[in-house]
Amino acid sequence: MKIAIAGKGGSGKTTIAGTLARIFARQGYAVLAIDGDPNPNLGVALGIAGPELASLNPLPRSIVEEQADAAGNKQLVLTRPMEAVTDEHGVVGPDGVTLLLGGRVDHPGAG
Amino acid sequence: MQEARELTILDMEASVEHMSRGTVRYCDTLLIVVEPYYRALETAGRMAPLARGLGIPRVYAIANKLRDERDEAAVLDYCARHDLEVLARIPFDEAIIEADRSGVALIDYAPGAAAVDEVRRLAERLAAQG
Repeated sequence: MKIAIAGKGGSGKTTIAGTLARIFARQGYAVLAIDGDPNPNLGVALGIAGPELASLNPLPRSIVEEQADAAGNKQLVLTRPMEAVTDEHGVVGPDGVTLLLGGRVDHPGAG
Repeated sequence: MQEARELTILDMEASVEHMSRGTVRYCDTLLIVVEPYYRALETAGRMAPLARGLGIPRVYAIANKLRDERDEAAVLDYCARHDLEVLARIPFDEAIIEADRSGVALIDYAPGAAAVDEVRRLAERLAAQG
């Protein structure tokens, strides 16, 4: 499943995203949480401590590229192994949820 | 098709304008969180058709911060008129404000909170969609 959560600022979307991530992780899902907000708060909502968050490297735009699959549908694929990405850019929080700061990835067309 | 119990969850930037670019188009489900007041509902009303236009298969509203039946009716009525299914109805919960103030995850601060219970039901509904 790939779920995006949107809404106005202050709507509570980050709290819901963090809670949903933790609940799925407890049910045995491998959960990757990506904070696409330029003012990132998802880490706190996931229960990840401040010092760990401060050391997070945001994902560079080159981390993903578009590729077409056999049916011609465009897919977003990582340009490096997932493990390397999470090692360098991720932090693993409570219940094993991996957090990535993806603010730059969210706008590949920008800049 | 089962994708081996993997979940990617993307907390998006708030504004409607960002809907038209970026990684959101690769998601299979979009949850639009709405509060029961006009401007929040209008934002959801603009996001939903944009998301469908991008080809996102499932687009739902999540009603949040509901204080009473009137709040709930306001969201349900608006969403019904905009052909938007409401997948969860999360009550207003002081525990969320207190968790925020303490810098603690809601599920750690108040695991039995009514809001957490409704997010659990939301997770069940999402899992049932596959």
